[in-house]
Amino acid sequence: MNKKLLKNPYIQFVLFGVVLSLLPLLVLFGILPSSYITLIGGVIIYSISALGLNLLLGYSGLISLGTAGFMGTAAYISAYFTVNLHMPFEIALLAGLIVPLIIGVLVGLVSLRIEGLYLAIATLCVSEILRKTFEELSFLTNGFSGKTASYPKLLGFINLTRDTSYVLLVVFLVLVMILIYNLVNGQLGRALNAMRGSEAAAQAMGVFLLKYRLIAFALATGLASLSGVLYVHFIRFTYPTTWTMGMSLNILAAIIIGGVRNIYGTILGCFIVFAVPDLFLKQIPYFGTMNGFAYIFNGVLIILVIMFYPHGLIYIGNDIKRLFNKKKGKV
Amino acid sequence: MSTLLQLVLRSLETGGIYSLAALGIIIIYRTSNMTNFAQGTIGMFNAFVVTFLFTVSGLPFWLSVIGGMISAVCTGFLVDFVIIRHTKKVTPVAKQIITLGLIMIFLGITPFFFGVEPLNLPQFIKTGSYNLGGASISYNGIFNILFGLGVMLALFYVLQKTKWGLAVRTTASNEFTARLMGVPTKTVTMGAWAIAAVLGVLSGVMVAPFTSVTLNLMDGVQINALIACVLGGFQTFYGPVIGAYIIGIAKNLLVYYVSSVWGEQLLYVGILIFIVFRPHGLIGKKVIKKV
Amino acid sequence: MSHQAIIADDIVLKIEELSIAFGGLKAVDNLSFQIREKEVFGLIGPNGAGKTTAFNCITQFYKPNHGKIYFRDKNNNVTNLIDHPVHEVIKLGLVRTFQNVELIRELSILDNVLIGAHIDFKSSLFSQALKLPKAVKEEKDLRDEAIEVLRFLGIENRKDLPAGGQPYGILKKVELARTLMCRPKLIILDEPAAGLNDVETVQLAQTIRTIRDRYNCSILLVEHDMRLVMDVCDQICAISFGKFLAVGTPKEIRKNKDVQTAYLGTEDDET
Repeated sequence: MNKKLLKNPYIQFVLFGVVLSLLPLLVLFGILPSSYITLIGGVIIYSISALGLNLLLGYSGLISLGTAGFMGTAAYISAYFTVNLHMPFEIALLAGLIVPLIIGVLVGLVSLRIEGLYLAIATLCVSEILRKTFEELSFLTNGFSGKTASYPKLLGFINLTRDTSYVLLVVFLVLVMILIYNLVNGQLGRALNAMRGSEAAAQAMGVFLLKYRLIAFALATGLASLSGVLYVHFIRFTYPTTWTMGMSLNILAAIIIGGVRNIYGTILGCFIVFAVPDLFLKQIPYFGTMNGFAYIFNGVLIILVIMFYPHGLIYIGNDIKRLFNKKKGKV
Repeated sequence: MSTLLQLVLRSLETGGIYSLAALGIIIIYRTSNMTNFAQGTIGMFNAFVVTFLFTVSGLPFWLSVIGGMISAVCTGFLVDFVIIRHTKKVTPVAKQIITLGLIMIFLGITPFFFGVEPLNLPQFIKTGSYNLGGASISYNGIFNILFGLGVMLALFYVLQKTKWGLAVRTTASNEFTARLMGVPTKTVTMGAWAIAAVLGVLSGVMVAPFTSVTLNLMDGVQINALIACVLGGFQTFYGPVIGAYIIGIAKNLLVYYVSSVWGEQLLYVGILIFIVFRPHGLIGKKVIKKV
Repeated sequence: MSHQAIIADDIVLKIEELSIAFGGLKAVDNLSFQIREKEVFGLIGPNGAGKTTAFNCITQFYKPNHGKIYFRDKNNNVTNLIDHPVHEVIKLGLVRTFQNVELIRELSILDNVLIGAHIDFKSSLFSQALKLPKAVKEEKDLRDEAIEVLRFLGIENRKDLPAGGQPYGILKKVELARTLMCRPKLIILDEPAAGLNDVETVQLAQTIRTIRDRYNCSILLVEHDMRLVMDVCDQICAISFGKFLAVGTPKEIRKNKDVQTAYLGTEDDET
């Protein structure tokens, strides 16, 4: 009975969230340094955005390099709504979703005309327009000085701290994981896969390409926006230089390294791209202090994974299991 | 009138820088079938080599540039030999991610070799300007324009008139068939990476005097080079070059005449609108898929 | 506007003066034929005759330059297919397979078949995301139906295997299963015998007949393999260079001089 319970994917998601939530406790007892909360919190934020991008790239086969721009837009709008307009967090969250969503849907509309690489660079163009707007629209963004925000204030009176904000991040992550899981294992997931695998077959089976591209872009942009809002209320400040092509590429790399079309894979990928450098590499004696070592390591790792593990590192577990069974079988 | 002329001349310089970088991207795209997002970063690394040779080792400018070009050729060869050659089975999207890995590697080895302090690379021709109908253009600017055009013309000549150029064009058209026909596609790809790296360092050297030599040296150039390729279309070699000059000219004109802060965004919005109407760029041709 | 009277009661598909040209070359030229209910109809012609183009016109992957394509849909309404976008054709009850077997490699065979039921899912995205009871029941019911179809075609035991890597014969059956999910009125098979050996082709003929009987549908067969066509078709239309050549029973077509000249070879070859 217990084993069956553990195999239930929803239970697994919740357990995963519970484990993640224990981090502040570990820090409290001095087992792990306090900086880990910010680090892992960052991984969670990027994971939410990456799960959205996975829906776009992994399932629908559409490349978008505009993730950073959407995240930044949502971040700035939410910060503005809470700090300047003194709106409640919940309203700011919704407001942060709207503008990027409109832009995302517009991109989705043109995605039937503009394909592949052209679409990718067009989204990059959009992201750059947004980034430059962050630099210039000072009344909203404070320009190069950066915009600050504070931890979320839930329901108008619950002031969150760093640790409780972190738990909020975990809650959002688990909710997003469940949502994505439900969607990709049902009609939507199949329709998106069909769109990616064979547009002709998809259309012959009644999949209206434009509608599903719009849905894919809307969902991906929505999740990117959510992550942007969470970013600004957890990290509590943002600059235009945060939201570059580099960030969009890193998120893209994360889902490929971890394993496309795999929820845990996406999170694993984000962990590798966004946390491993600070967690492990900087601690390695001699190499850790070398200028640029973390970058070199990450770059090499990315290339090695693509070349030798094209399906993503999440399947390492399977391969190890298989190796184990092989050895067992031989005895 | 003279301001317009001045802007146009300045744009030719900017356009030249962008087009060298764009050429680097399109050459690799058409021979290795991947978009090299690391074009700028590799150019940046080799620009550091040039600056190092010039400022630290004290070599004369032209010799430092040659040194940078040699370093670029080596970098190109190495990247192709160690990595790109072995990516036959990789999906197109994953190939792009490999170039992201390259970005990180070069972002890492640059401070490793050259430290974290920004360096300065002066102009090739330090002083003096020429007056053309009321517009003033520095000698360096003239040199950049002519040098950029010269490099491109040389490249196009090689592409169109020489045996190696034919090999490149054949590989670009269809790599598999080219190999069957005996074209040394492996050498072609290696050469392509080397040339792209050289184009990268040249555009880096040309842009360096306007700013300082840091890790972000080529960021602006890289993005505009990519957009130039989209504007001009990935199907030809000359399309991105035209796109690059258009971007250079339009950017300077918009920034001066319309708005200094919103000029660039307007340009990008304009390009996006253009792409919606011509999804394969100025010179693009649509590929019809048979069901 | 109903075209009720335009086609006879027992006709399910009527092509009238279908023409399409690509840059000056007429791929299909003034083609007309009609298919009855519960009929297995063959469309044959030598390579380049325009069979695939005609077929793509019928299924609205191409919009023809001229002509009408009347179809009696599941609700017994007659409509001109040209008025519909390509993704709505299946809603009317017209479904097709692909010569290159367009399945999604990473999905399981069962999921591939479920794509054929795409239009049957009525629950909203919202209820799917939250796994509301209605959505859960719908998914389960359609899943059961898909398993039933796979059982009918004898490949139920492979339902959870990924489609990529399956043998070609199995993949063709999966594509067939996918078309059956919408309870079609007309199934168009795009060279179903391509890549099959003799034994498999005979089985295919039997499968086609069984499908026609069990699902009460018509089947349009676009095919090269003469033995299959002669074996299983009730009526055959032969075309050449995009133009109508002849229509009739297999016997009549075999004897038709024009058809023979076009590609069946000289009289000496025929017994």
